Amino acid sequence: MKINLLMLFMLFSVLGYAQKQVKGKVTDDKGEGLPGVNVVISGTNSGTVTDVNGNFLLDNVSASGTLTFSFIGFVKQTVSVGDKTTINIKLVPDVVSLQEVVVIGYGTSTAKEITGSVSVVNGKNLTALNPTRFDQALQGQAAGVQISTASGSPGGAVNIRIRGLSTNGDNNPLVLVDGVPYSTDGLNALNPSDIESINVLKDATAGIYGVRAANGVIIITTKQGKRSGKPIIEFSGYAGMQETTRKLDLLNAKEFAVLKNETFAAGGQTPPFANTGLGSGTNWQDEVFQKAPIQNYNLNVSGGSEKSTYSIGGSYLDQQGIVGGDKAAYRRYNTRINFTTDLAPKLILQNVLLFTNETRSTLPENGIASVLYNTINASPAASPTKEDGSYTYLEEFSDIINPLAQMANSFNKAKVNKIVGKQEFTYKVNNHVDAIARIGYNYANVGSKVFNPLVYYGSGKAQNNTSSPDLRPDSISLAPGFKVPLLNNVVETQQTYFNYNLEAFFNYNQIFNKVHSVKGTAGVSFLEDRGESLTGIAYNIPYNSNDFADLSAADGTNLLNNSSSYQYRSRLQSVFMRGEYGYQSKYLLSAILRRDASSNFGKNNRAGYFPSMSAAWVLSEEPFFESKMIEFIKVRASYGVVGNDKIGLFRYRALLGGEAVYPFNDQLLNGIAIGAFGNQDLKWETTNQANFGIDFTLFDGKLDITTDYYIKSTHDLLFTPDISAIVGAYAAGTSPPVVNGGDVRNSGFELLINYNQEIRKGFTFNIGYNLTTINNRVTALQQGVDFYDFGSFGVGGGSATRMQVGYPIGYFFGYKTEGVYQSSEEIANRGVTQEGAQPGDLKFVDTNNSGALSFSNNSDKTFLGSAIPDVIMGLNAGVGYKGIDFAVTFYASLGNDILRNYERQQPLANLLNYRINRWTGEGSTNESPRLTTAANTNGVLSDYFVEDGSFLRIRNIQLGYSLPQSIIRKIGATKVRLYVAVNNLATFTRYKGYDPDFSSGSPLTGGVDQGFYPQAKTMMAGLNLNF
Amino acid sequence: MRNTLRTIILSIGITLTSFSCDNYVDIEPYYAQDADNYFLSPADYDKALIGAYDLMQTSYLDMWIGEIASDNSIAGGESVTDSEGLHQIDNMTHGGVNTELRSLFRWMYAGITRVNYIFENKDRIEFTGKDRILAEASFLRAYYYFELVKFFGDVPLIIDKRLGASEVTTQQRTPASEVYAQIEKDLIFAAATLTWTTAVKGRATKGAALALLGKTYLYQNKFIEAAATLDQVINEGPYNLSTDFKSLFRVGGESSNETVFDIEYVGIEGGGYGCFVCLEGFAAVGFHSIRGYVGPTYGDGNSYNLPTLDLVNEFEFGDSRLAVSILDIEAYKTSQLPVVVKYTVGAGGHTGFYNNKYLKRVAELGLPDNDLTSPVNHKVIRFADVLLMAAEAHNRKQGPNDALALQYLNRVRGRVGVSMPAINALGTVLTDAIYHERRVEFAGEGLRFFDLVRTGRAAAEIPGFKTNKNELFPLPQAEIDLAGAGWVQNNGY
Repeated sequence: MKINLLMLFMLFSVLGYAQKQVKGKVTDDKGEGLPGVNVVISGTNSGTVTDVNGNFLLDNVSASGTLTFSFIGFVKQTVSVGDKTTINIKLVPDVVSLQEVVVIGYGTSTAKEITGSVSVVNGKNLTALNPTRFDQALQGQAAGVQISTASGSPGGAVNIRIRGLSTNGDNNPLVLVDGVPYSTDGLNALNPSDIESINVLKDATAGIYGVRAANGVIIITTKQGKRSGKPIIEFSGYAGMQETTRKLDLLNAKEFAVLKNETFAAGGQTPPFANTGLGSGTNWQDEVFQKAPIQNYNLNVSGGSEKSTYSIGGSYLDQQGIVGGDKAAYRRYNTRINFTTDLAPKLILQNVLLFTNETRSTLPENGIASVLYNTINASPAASPTKEDGSYTYLEEFSDIINPLAQMANSFNKAKVNKIVGKQEFTYKVNNHVDAIARIGYNYANVGSKVFNPLVYYGSGKAQNNTSSPDLRPDSISLAPGFKVPLLNNVVETQQTYFNYNLEAFFNYNQIFNKVHSVKGTAGVSFLEDRGESLTGIAYNIPYNSNDFADLSAADGTNLLNNSSSYQYRSRLQSVFMRGEYGYQSKYLLSAILRRDASSNFGKNNRAGYFPSMSAAWVLSEEPFFESKMIEFIKVRASYGVVGNDKIGLFRYRALLGGEAVYPFNDQLLNGIAIGAFGNQDLKWETTNQANFGIDFTLFDGKLDITTDYYIKSTHDLLFTPDISAIVGAYAAGTSPPVVNGGDVRNSGFELLINYNQEIRKGFTFNIGYNLTTINNRVTALQQGVDFYDFGSFGVGGGSATRMQVGYPIGYFFGYKTEGVYQSSEEIANRGVTQEGAQPGDLKFVDTNNSGALSFSNNSDKTFLGSAIPDVIMGLNAGVGYKGIDFAVTFYASLGNDILRNYERQQPLANLLNYRINRWTGEGSTNESPRLTTAANTNGVLSDYFVEDGSFLRIRNIQLGYSLPQSIIRKIGATKVRLYVAVNNLATFTRYKGYDPDFSSGSPLTGGVDQGFYPQAKTMMAGLNLNF
Repeated sequence: MRNTLRTIILSIGITLTSFSCDNYVDIEPYYAQDADNYFLSPADYDKALIGAYDLMQTSYLDMWIGEIASDNSIAGGESVTDSEGLHQIDNMTHGGVNTELRSLFRWMYAGITRVNYIFENKDRIEFTGKDRILAEASFLRAYYYFELVKFFGDVPLIIDKRLGASEVTTQQRTPASEVYAQIEKDLIFAAATLTWTTAVKGRATKGAALALLGKTYLYQNKFIEAAATLDQVINEGPYNLSTDFKSLFRVGGESSNETVFDIEYVGIEGGGYGCFVCLEGFAAVGFHSIRGYVGPTYGDGNSYNLPTLDLVNEFEFGDSRLAVSILDIEAYKTSQLPVVVKYTVGAGGHTGFYNNKYLKRVAELGLPDNDLTSPVNHKVIRFADVLLMAAEAHNRKQGPNDALALQYLNRVRGRVGVSMPAINALGTVLTDAIYHERRVEFAGEGLRFFDLVRTGRAAAEIPGFKTNKNELFPLPQAEIDLAGAGWVQNNGY
C-alpha cells in the first residue's frame, strides 16, 4: 500500500504533446477500482498511474500503439488503442504461487522476485504425510533435496543431502528454526506439526550464511497467529500399526541342512546334519519382527489481538519398534509458544519457545553385532528357546548370538530435554528501514543409560561378559594375585549442549521513481556453541536387573568404577550484507557478502569472505512478450562462494591428546603423547556454485514449472590424509594433521512441476512432480595421493570403498566377475591365472590384463558402483471431490548401488535363498559360486555383492472425508476430516536386503548394508478437527 | 531518509571496525595442553616416556608374522579373507599391499617418534633421573628400529627430532648397517646408564639393553661382539632359567628371573576391534585361542596362528616342552572325558594345534572384549634366548668356543622339569643342535622366521620362500608412494 500511495503522488506528472488522449478505469476482478496501476505506452517510457479510484488519463497516445497495464499482484494486460478513447480494464489477480513469500535469510522475497534457487515446502504438505520427523516428509517433496534414512528404528536419524555430496566430511545442511541454528543431530525434537513452512536455499544465494552454507540452508518457520484473529483451535491425531516393509528370503531348515551338508562335504569335512528332514525350522525373522503401534496427537491454538499474535501448541508421539517393540521405541512431548506483541508503536517483540521431551530406546543396529545381522545369520535349524523357556545358545557359530536373547538383554535408553528459543526485537525506524536485534538459543540435556547385565549368549560369543552359563562372574586380575570379579554394570552419561546466537541487522526497502526497487540488509552475528559430557560407569547392580540399573544402586566402592568427561566450544563471528536491486520487477539483481571468522580455523586463515551474485530477468514482464498460454517466465542465474566450517574443533592445533598408557607394576599409568598433528593453515572447505534456472507459470496459474541446472565445485576438502608413516602419526589417539586438499564436483538438473485444477465445481485435481539428477565426481586429491580407502567388507576384511579422482565419492572398489568357472579345463585354458581357482568359483576379471589375478594387491580391483543415486524423483497426486480427498505420494531413487554386507561368511551362517541356485556342477549356473568350507576367494569384495539399489516406493496413500459444513457448523467446528492412510505401502526394487532407502549417513561408506533396521509400513487412521 | 542512511552506514562502520580483530573467536580449548609447550617438569618427561613405551604393545603383529611366515604355523582365522595379509604371508604370496605389514611399519615409527619427541626436548630442564629416562627411551628406540630393520632392511633413520610432514620427501632409506649402528649406539648408551634390576616391573634394564644388543650383533653375524655381550648378561646379570617352564608364560610367572625383557599387558581396560593400537591387553592371546571352545580351563578365541604338524614333529620324544608349547585339541578333548569339550573350525585353516604358551585361559581374562585384553605378558627376551644366542655366537664365531657353546646349550636342555639329555657335538653338528633347540624352546614366540632367514635356512624350510626376495618383507607400497622420496622396493616385490 505504501508503494501505491507513493505512486499516487506521482499522478499526472507525465505530460507531453498529445496525439490523442485516452482515459479509463482499471478495476479488479470484483469490479473495485484499482489505484496505483502502471499504465505505460508499450515500447516507450511514457505512461501514468491510476488514481485512488482506479482512473487514469494519458496523453500522446497514438492510435497504432498499445497500452500495458501492470500492477503487483495482478496479471499484466496489454490493449491496443485503435480508435478507443476510453479503455476500461479488469485486471485479474496474479498467480497466487508467485506471491508466495520466500524466506531467504535475514529477509524475505516472493517467488516472483527471487533470484536464487529456493525450494519451498508448505507445512501442510508435510504433516499430511504424518512423519515422525519433518525431514522424512521432505523426501520427494523438493527438487534437489535427497533424503535417506540412516535407521528405520523409532527416533532413528535421517540424512538430508542438498545437491549431492559436497564433502567427505559433514554434509548436513544448516538448519534454522525461526532464525535460530538448530542442531541437525537433534532434528527428532522438532514436531512437524509446528512447522508453517520450509524454505531450502540450494544455491549461492545461501551465501548470506557464508561459511555454513555449502551444504545448503533449510529455513524453518514455525506457526504464528494472525493479528485481530479469532482463536482457531486445531486438533489432529492418528493411530496406526506398523510392520516391516519386507522380510528377507532366507533358507528354511531343510534347505539349510542340505546346503550346509554340501558345503562341508565339498570342503572335505563331515556334513553337520545327519538328517536333513528338518521341515521349515525356525523363521528367525518371524521371531524378531513384530507389529508395533504408533500414535500422534497435536493440539494448536492460534489467534491474535490488534497488537499481538499467538500460536500455542502441544503434541504427543509414541512409536514402538517393529524390531524390539519397546526396546526400540520413541516417545516425544512437545510444547510451543510463538508470541508476538507491539511493545511500543514501532517496536515489535517476537518470542518463540519450543520445548521437547524425548525418550528413545535402542537396540544394536546396522553392524556385525546388530540384532538383524544375527537374525539373518542365525541357523534355521536351531530353535529359539530351550524346553525350559530360556534362550538357545547357537553354539555352532562363534559369534552369531540368539537375537531374541540379545533383545532381552539390551537396555539402552536416552532422554532428551531441549529448549529452543528466540527473543527478537524489530524496530521500524521508518517506512523503509527496520532494525532487528535478536538472541536465539538452544539448550539440550541428553541423559543416557546403558545397563550391561551379566549375560551368557553361548560359548565363545564376543558379546558375553561372563564365561559361565549360570552367570557366575569372571575374575579379572588387577595385579598378580589380586583378582576382582567382573560384575554387571551401568553406564550413565549426561551431556549438555548449549549455544547462543546474537544477531543485529538492518533491512532497508525503498522504491525510487516508481521503478527502481532497492533493498538492503546488513548486520552482525555472534555464535557460540558449547557442550559438556560426564560419564560414570559403576558395577554390581542388584539382582542383575534393569529395575535397579542406576549409579545409585551400584556398588560405589567397586574398583572398576570409572568416570570420564569432555567439553568443547566453538565460536563464529560474522558480518553480512546483501543488496538487491529491481527494475520494474523485470530485472532483478542481488549481491551478498559475508565475512565469517571461526575458532575452528587455523591462525593463518581465521576469517573468510564469501561473496555471491544473482540475477533474474522476468521475461514475461517485457512489453514484447505476448502469450496467452504463459503468464510468467523468469530466467535466473547465480554464482558465488560459500563454505563449510564443520571441520572439527581446534584441529589446527597440535595438542597432547594422544593415548599414552602403559602398565608398570601391573598398573596402568597415563602418560602423554601428541594427538592430532597441527596445521595452522587449516581453513574451511570452499564451494563455488553456479545455478541457472527458468521458472514458468502457464494456463492461468494452473501449471508451475521450475527448472534448475547447478554446478557445485567444492575445494579444500578436509582430509586426515595418509601421510608417510615415518612422521610417526599412527598411534592410539595420534593422527596425521588435517589438511585442506581435494575437490569434488556435483552437478545436476532439477525439475519441479505443479499442476492444480478445479476440473468441475467441487472436483479438484493436483499433481506435483520433481526430479533431481546428481552427478558426483571427485576432481582432485592432494598431490601424491591417488585415493583414500574407507569402510570394511566382511569380518576382518579389507576396505570397501574409495575416494578417487574421476569417480563418485565413496564408490565400491573390488573385483569384477564374469561368471563361474565351469570346469578345470576352463580354468586351465582361460589364459588368465587365478590362483586357487576350482570349478564353481567366481571367475574374476583380470582388469589390468596382466594374465593373472592378483589378490595381494589392488591391481585388478575396479569400480563396482556407487551409493549415490543418478536420479531421484517424487510424485504427489491428489484428487478431491466434494468432501472426499485422495492423495498418493511416490518416491523413486535410480542408480544407487548397495553393498550387501550382512551375510556372515561363516560355515554355518544361514544364507539367502538365492544361494539355492549355487553352482553344483558343470553347466548348472554361471551366476552363483559353489558352496564349500574349503579355502576359496569367492568371499572377496566383488560385484557379486554389489546390488542395484534402485527403487520406487509408495510413500503415502491416503483417503479422507471432510464432513459437510452444514453438519459441522452445528457443533461449532470449521473442519472435521477423517482419514485412513498407509505409509510405505509398497516398494518396488530388485535389492535383496531389507530396505534400499538407506544410507548410513557417511558420505564415504553410506551404501554398505550391514543389516539395516528397515522403515516400517504403517497403516493408520486419523482425525483433523478445527474450531 | 538521509539520517537513516547515515545511521546505517555509521552502525555498520562501527561494527566492522570493532569486530574485525576477531577477538571473539580467539579462544582456547578447555583443559588441553599444547605439544610445543611441554617438558616443563620432570614428571612431563616421565609421562612422555610412558607414551613411548605404549607402542611396544603392538608387538602381537611382530610375533604373528614371525611365526606365520615360518614353517611353525599357519594363519588360520574365520576365513582366508580374515586378516588377508597374514594369509598371504603364510603362503609367501605377500606383496606391497598388506594391511598387517603396513600397520607394523606405522606403529614402529610412531614409537620412534615418541622417543624422538623426548630427545628433541631433552635439554629443556635439568633434573636428577633424566639419564634414566633418556636411557630407557634409547632402549625403546633401539627396539623399534630393530623390528623395522629385521622386517624391511634399509629404513629411513630419523633420530632426536620429530620429522615435519614436508621433510619426508628428502628421507632416503638408510642402509641397514647404519640403522644397526644407531641401534647399537642407543643400546650401549642404555646399558651404560640402566641398572640390572629395577623396582618398577616392566621398565627396561641393563640386561634388557645388553641382551638386545647381543641379538643385534647376532643378526649381523657379528659373533665375537655378540658372544662377549651375551656373556656379560649371563655372567653379571641376575638371570636364571625358570624352574617351572609351564608357568613361565602365565600371569603368575611374569616376575620369573628368566624374564630379561617382556612387554607388559594388563586386563583392566576393555577394548574393541576398532582400535588395536589402543589395547592394554595382549591381543595375540585371544586371537590364538580355540574357536567356539566350550570346556574347562581355556577360553574361546579366533583360531589364528595355528602351529603346524611340522613344528610338533620337531620336538624330541619325551620333551615336556611340547605340551607346554602346543595344545593338541583332539588329544585334549579325549583327556577331558567325561567332561565334554567342544570347538569349531574356522575356514581360515585348521591344524588341530594351538599355541599353548599364549592361549586364553579362564583364569587370565581381561575386561570385555576379552579376546583382546589378555593380561599375559609377551616375553621378548628370555634368559634361555640369551643362553642359546650366546651358544650360537660362540659356536659360529671365528675361533669358536664350542665347549662354552655346549655348556650353554645343555644348560637350556637340562633346565628343571625339562631334563633333555645333554648333547655332545661340535662344529656344524652343534650349530644344528642349537638351531633345533631354538625352534622347540621358542616355539610360538615369533622368533622362527627371522632365525631361519638370518641363518640362511629359510628357503629350505619354508614352502614358497624365494631366495633373494622373501628374506625381507616388502615396504608397504603406500609408504613408498606417500614418502615420494624415490624409495626402491625390496628385491623381488
